[in-house]
Amino acid sequence: MTHPTQAHTPNAALPLLAAWRGLFAVLAATLAALLWTNQAPADLALWLKIVFSLVLGLAALLSLFAIFHILRRSHTGRSLALGLDYLGFVASFVTVLHLGQVFVGIDSFADTFGRGIPALGVVLLGYLIDAAGERSPFNGTQTTLRQIGRWVALIGFGFFLWQVSALQGILFVASSLANPAGFTALGSAAIFGLALWGMWRNPAAQALNSKNQHEAMLNGWLFLSPNLIGFLIFFAGPLLLSFYFSFTDSDAFNPPNWVGLENYAKILNIRFAGLESATQLARDVVDIKIYDEVGRLTWGSGGILFAAADKFFWLALRNTLTFALFAVPLSVLPALVLANILNSKLPGMKFFRAVYFLPSIAAIVGISLVWQWLYNATIGYINYFITLGIEFWNAAFNAGLVDPKIQWVSDEKTALFAVILIAAWQTVGFNTVLFLAGLQNIPGELYEAATVDGAGAWDKFWRITIPMLAPSTFYVISTTTIQAMQVFEQVFILMNPAEGPNNSTLTLVLYLYRSGFVNFKQGYASAIAWVLFIVIFGLTLLQFQRQRKSSIYEA
Amino acid sequence: MNIKSYRLLRWLGNGLVYFILTAFAFVMLFPFAYMLSTSLKIPSDTFRYPPRMLPRDPVSQAVPGYDEPLPLYYVLVNGEKTQFALAQSNLKVGRYAPAENLSQVVERRLTEVRPTGGAMNPQSVTVDGKEQKLFDVTVDGQVIPMILVSQTTVGEFVNPQNPQEKVYQNVRLSEPVENVSAHPENYSDVIALRGLDRALTNTALVTILVVLGQLATSVIGGYAFARLRFAGRDTVFVLYLGTIMIPFVMLIVPLYQLMVFIGWTDRLVSLVMPWIFTAYGTFLMRQHFITFPKEIEEAALIDGASRLQILSKILIPASVPALATQSTFTFLYAWNSFIWPLIVINVGNEENHVLTLALNVLRGRASDTPNLILAGAAIAILPPLVVFILGQHFFVESVASSGVKG
Amino acid sequence: MKHNLLWKFASLLVVLSFVFAACGAPATEAPAATEAPAATEAPAEPAPAEEVSLRWRTRPDNQEEIDVYSNISAELDAEMEGITLTYEPGGTEGANYQEQLRAEVAAGTAPDVFWIPGTDVADFATRGLILNAADLAAATDGYSADAFYPGPMAHLTYNPETAASGAESGALWGLPRDVSTFALYLNLDLIAEAGAPDPRELAAKGEWDWDAFLEVAQKTRALGSDIYGYGASAWWGPYGVWLNAAGGGFFNAERTACALNTPESLAGLDFQRALYADYDVATPYGEDPEPPFRAGKVAMFQNGRWATPGVRTVEFNWDVVELPKGPNVTQGNWLFWGAYVINAKTEHPEEAWKLVQALTTAQTQGKVAALGANIPSRQSQEAFDAFLTFTPPANNQAFLNGLADSPATEGPLWAGSWPEYDKIMGPAIQAVLTGSKSVDDFGATICDEADKVFVK
Repeated sequence: MTHPTQAHTPNAALPLLAAWRGLFAVLAATLAALLWTNQAPADLALWLKIVFSLVLGLAALLSLFAIFHILRRSHTGRSLALGLDYLGFVASFVTVLHLGQVFVGIDSFADTFGRGIPALGVVLLGYLIDAAGERSPFNGTQTTLRQIGRWVALIGFGFFLWQVSALQGILFVASSLANPAGFTALGSAAIFGLALWGMWRNPAAQALNSKNQHEAMLNGWLFLSPNLIGFLIFFAGPLLLSFYFSFTDSDAFNPPNWVGLENYAKILNIRFAGLESATQLARDVVDIKIYDEVGRLTWGSGGILFAAADKFFWLALRNTLTFALFAVPLSVLPALVLANILNSKLPGMKFFRAVYFLPSIAAIVGISLVWQWLYNATIGYINYFITLGIEFWNAAFNAGLVDPKIQWVSDEKTALFAVILIAAWQTVGFNTVLFLAGLQNIPGELYEAATVDGAGAWDKFWRITIPMLAPSTFYVISTTTIQAMQVFEQVFILMNPAEGPNNSTLTLVLYLYRSGFVNFKQGYASAIAWVLFIVIFGLTLLQFQRQRKSSIYEA
Repeated sequence: MNIKSYRLLRWLGNGLVYFILTAFAFVMLFPFAYMLSTSLKIPSDTFRYPPRMLPRDPVSQAVPGYDEPLPLYYVLVNGEKTQFALAQSNLKVGRYAPAENLSQVVERRLTEVRPTGGAMNPQSVTVDGKEQKLFDVTVDGQVIPMILVSQTTVGEFVNPQNPQEKVYQNVRLSEPVENVSAHPENYSDVIALRGLDRALTNTALVTILVVLGQLATSVIGGYAFARLRFAGRDTVFVLYLGTIMIPFVMLIVPLYQLMVFIGWTDRLVSLVMPWIFTAYGTFLMRQHFITFPKEIEEAALIDGASRLQILSKILIPASVPALATQSTFTFLYAWNSFIWPLIVINVGNEENHVLTLALNVLRGRASDTPNLILAGAAIAILPPLVVFILGQHFFVESVASSGVKG
Repeated sequence: MKHNLLWKFASLLVVLSFVFAACGAPATEAPAATEAPAATEAPAEPAPAEEVSLRWRTRPDNQEEIDVYSNISAELDAEMEGITLTYEPGGTEGANYQEQLRAEVAAGTAPDVFWIPGTDVADFATRGLILNAADLAAATDGYSADAFYPGPMAHLTYNPETAASGAESGALWGLPRDVSTFALYLNLDLIAEAGAPDPRELAAKGEWDWDAFLEVAQKTRALGSDIYGYGASAWWGPYGVWLNAAGGGFFNAERTACALNTPESLAGLDFQRALYADYDVATPYGEDPEPPFRAGKVAMFQNGRWATPGVRTVEFNWDVVELPKGPNVTQGNWLFWGAYVINAKTEHPEEAWKLVQALTTAQTQGKVAALGANIPSRQSQEAFDAFLTFTPPANNQAFLNGLADSPATEGPLWAGSWPEYDKIMGPAIQAVLTGSKSVDDFGATICDEADKVFVK
């Protein structure tokens, strides 16, 4: 941080920087006020106006606060000034990119990208030559090869830029910026950059008593900032927005209205009612204007009826939980068995491990299309295999089994199971590899000691493998469960209509999608999203508790 | 236990192990094999029952006296399976039986029978209270009056070498002569006709941008969390940790509205930007950097290196495995994502479709040609698969390491 | 060592993704080379000042349809002065055509003019997604609503505020693209092989009713375990036919309440259920019957005119026949329709209205109808005569007979939400047809649930 060439008097720049803070505060406050007049630069929704005004107002206040500190020669002033100018710079820079159509320009880039691909191959070739040179044992070849490689890569890259018409792209960006708005954005980026530079420089740092810890802090926030800013805009912000939407009737077409807890109340509005007979109608026991029957539990002369104001949500919850209840064991237990087999040192285990892993990297959309034809009731392979099996069985044992001709995806009794099978098929290999990694971390001495103690293979499995594998098991089960609770693609592609026969494959995410993007009840969909989150969170917590308990038990 | 029987037992045990493993491997691979085989078939072959793995084409042959080549079928001639050509189909055939024994059915073409008693004076008989016409049917040289029980159709099959030799039998139940032949042009068809080429380029571009972008932000973010001390760091880290568990679907509604607000709907950038800044990736990188020995870094700092130099010259080259792990996951995620493109990219704007979207459109437009649909699916599935097979060792290691550390 | 491995891996990853993407490269090269790359970059590239560019969209079900509409777009582009047209095919029915459109209208990226099915007109109109073109129409010389089928026009001129419809209602949501009805596509080879009577002859004699239909279905089904007598898809159209033909229907006459529980509706549903359960003549409910039909395994396949282009490629002898008449002495057929409507957010409403008119002229409709996928929405003898020549099928008259048999108009629910009604009705009927719910149970509860979607 020492730059001996810059020997300006430390105090000269400070008044200038303080004055800039004042100007900044005035500009921010003006802009905030402008939002509420007719001269607003953009037509914003009310809540956005509030958010923007608050942000700008806060920036103005902080800027004034910074003047106070700068004049007192306190480093807080420098931190604040750098923070504000940095944000201002980022905002102006992003605006420049936006006005220069750089973001939407990715579309046009995709247009020409295909032509540039061969050129990228040349770049790669260059890198490979370079890498070969690096590994070459002879000193002379090493330098030559590396030089050739670099030139090839450079030429390839130039060729790529030419192929994708980079020059025209840059010219286009420049021409898009050649208007008052573009100049304003460029200008403000330059001003913020200048202010940043002035404050970052050594003289200002010394004048404001910068210490090592201050530099570390500035460095830390600087390094974190790209990720943090994006994270706030594309994750944390939307998350808060979702929470807000869940209390509104937002429909994507009109400004949202605050409805309080109405969405949650509708989701959770349920009734249980006693039934006098197994076939008694729902309208006799609940207010049918509000509630629909979701299901009933009956015995001899009576039963219980479960009704809800939104029966689709409860059906979706039922289906999703059923799905998880079967899909998780079906993809975890075989994985455990396979991992134990693969952990033996027999030849060919790596091959099998690779084969089992294949399904988990294939696109779910493509995979579901394949299974759709496998499941076909009349010409599909699965029913064909079943038919063959039954014929063989009948011939071999003279039995009279009847071919069930299962309608996998069109019968409500099997539709969800068909989806479960795909999901299990797709995750089992992934889980196997996770278990295998866990197994390989178990110290061999434990088994040796057990062998000395005379323990059998079965004992070793239960007494050593299972407990030692607990962390892996926890990880596998919780990730599989979280995934299972979000099942969507398989159902969406496999079932037509997606909710399946008699709503048997209506899942929570599908219902969320349907509410938000088919019926456009986006406020309601947001509420569903939060309930889904709470369910997932609860399930994970439950597993975490069990995991802790079992590890305490182990200890 | 003597050595011999112990060996036998082990041999049997290993056999069982390999049997189980192979059975599982079959289950895992079969859908892929089915996909590839169907994608090489002609449409009518895909609807065959029983289904067959190898793609086949029906065989035709030129027959003297016929203008066009005729399809070949297997027919029984003198108890022998012979290849005959189908010359005519849908010839009407009557099933005739004597009135006193309706189970003794013979089939004759309608043109081969005459009314009993002649056309001028047709005779009839009453069966089960219904009056039925009688026909003269020749059986083994004998003429027997019979009634028409039911009708059906047959085809006329001719011997290709000797077209005068004819056999009549049901066409639908006859086995056609076929030879094995693949149709790789299904792939070029589906690419050219359904615009899958553009979807492929888009998917590649989006995937590359997401992988590179996410790597960049999470490396420097992870480094800040792991190595730099500053006020507020731990608070932000806890915030990041807390959001790792939040499923993406929670965000589809607000993110959609955000994209509408910015004006990025229907743009590829909307598939890139939200994925570049992830808490999970940053967390993974932080976990990695924290294991790195501090001493090397401190030495470099004393030598006057900047933080950025340390990161680029020392840490990144030493972290290639961790970077590759993350790229692997991001690559798969970006390549295979569906629900978000479905929401934010216009269905009519095929220029901006990614592969999963193109497949979703394809399944509706080509529902009667499963060969094309599965060729499309193969185009979406095979690139990651080939990458995996070539770099398989690495891939599996990275998954395993994520599990151990996570 | 690790480093080298990684090098290889990373390089492989990049190379492969590029190589695969490169397969697509040559095809994109051609069009991109013809236009200046800068032009493709510029979304706002200024067109000549007076040219207005419009985008429009329909829902095509196959490549042939896409080609026809692309040609029509090119021809209209040449004819209409000052308007540049872009046709974009939408998703298919299975791929959420309407849902996607709503999202796009909300996002402001939807085309200027688009087609929507009749059922969705009310939903789009009441949400304010489509433009009321009544004023534009009033100012247009030569526009007359009478030229079109009255059923669709009654809905397209429905004014939700006054509950009036007709030329004076002050509302016009669009113009119908085409109409269609159901017919039975026949596999003549199977019918002949089974020795069953020819349904076309029975229809000509006026003997084509549910009994005759059942007889043909049973005889063909008896040919083998993989041969089916009847096949229909699992959506509201096919099952609605049986309800209608028995004298029932989805709604009451005013379309303000559920009528699924009337004895007539239940009788119709029970007959369809019997086709699946009692007589076992039909392809499994919920499985797409089109592949087995095209593979020659279904004797009678119930579908609309839109299935014709696809069926034209089959290898067996085929034709169509009208639907059999039910107890109520009607076929119970539907008048399917869809309309070109104008995006409420379009910047060029007048040009869009011109495009809607151009897309529904007799000439344009004739071209689309020649493809075979639909029937012109304008009622005129010339249109009928021309339609009869669009063979195969030889018996095109079957579709016109369906239209003449006072079919029920496919219609939006102005008093409620059709999509929600459909989501309640469909699964419940599927439960009946797959045997997991009895017709009586269905009748006892269905209207309790379905009536909730009507705004009281």
